[in-house]
Amino acid sequence: MQQQDKNKKNALGVKSSRVESGRLKLLITVVNRAKGDFYLDLIQSFDVNMQLLIMAHGTASAQMISMLGLEDSARTAIFSIIREDRAEDIMNALAEKFRTIKNGKGVAYTVPLASMIGVAAYGFLSNDHRTLKEEKK
Amino acid sequence: MNKFEHELIMCVVNEGFSEAVMDAARAVGAKGGTVLHANGTANKDAEKAFGIVIEPNKELVMILVPAEIKAAVLKELYDKVGLNTPGQGIAFTLPVDSVVGIGEGERS
Repeated sequence: MQQQDKNKKNALGVKSSRVESGRLKLLITVVNRAKGDFYLDLIQSFDVNMQLLIMAHGTASAQMISMLGLEDSARTAIFSIIREDRAEDIMNALAEKFRTIKNGKGVAYTVPLASMIGVAAYGFLSNDHRTLKEEKK
Repeated sequence: MNKFEHELIMCVVNEGFSEAVMDAARAVGAKGGTVLHANGTANKDAEKAFGIVIEPNKELVMILVPAEIKAAVLKELYDKVGLNTPGQGIAFTLPVDSVVGIGEGERS
């Protein structure tokens, strides 16, 4: 019954599939520029295949920067596409590193993705190797 | 009623107006933001039709705010750096379902 529901077509005639069970989120992590690569590698270790590293700067005042123990306003914003079922692990790992790494403070938040298209693209973004096999058949 | 405790405000303004964005946002309770540099790509025909010239160099300001002050921040941005001002700002919000890091202390 549940399978039937999953396979029913929507208004556009597009079949919904198991994408439902592995939803994706956009994780935005803002950290000191010097720590960008460290956090990039950390997030990548959680089945994350696509990340964008963007140079940015924070808007906190000089007084606030010193109060928070930050170095300067140069920041890196990391945009990562993550699986919903790995989100908690990633957020816990980031929270721990934010607390323990010297000059590694930052902020991270997740935004749910509403939709996407393409089995191969979904497989790549979710690191789902089953979709890779299906594509090859 | 909103099931999200935080929302992410994305505000796109002309280069040099990110300070004005933050001043407006702070006035109604926002704490801090992150500025990214970007290039705008406006439709030339639409620019001509609406009589608006779009400055290609943009700043994208991301401001994480509690959901309860979102409307106030958006209103302030519309008034202070909206399309009818030199900043020519456009602001929209995205739902945020979890947060860790500075100022939050724990997961929402």
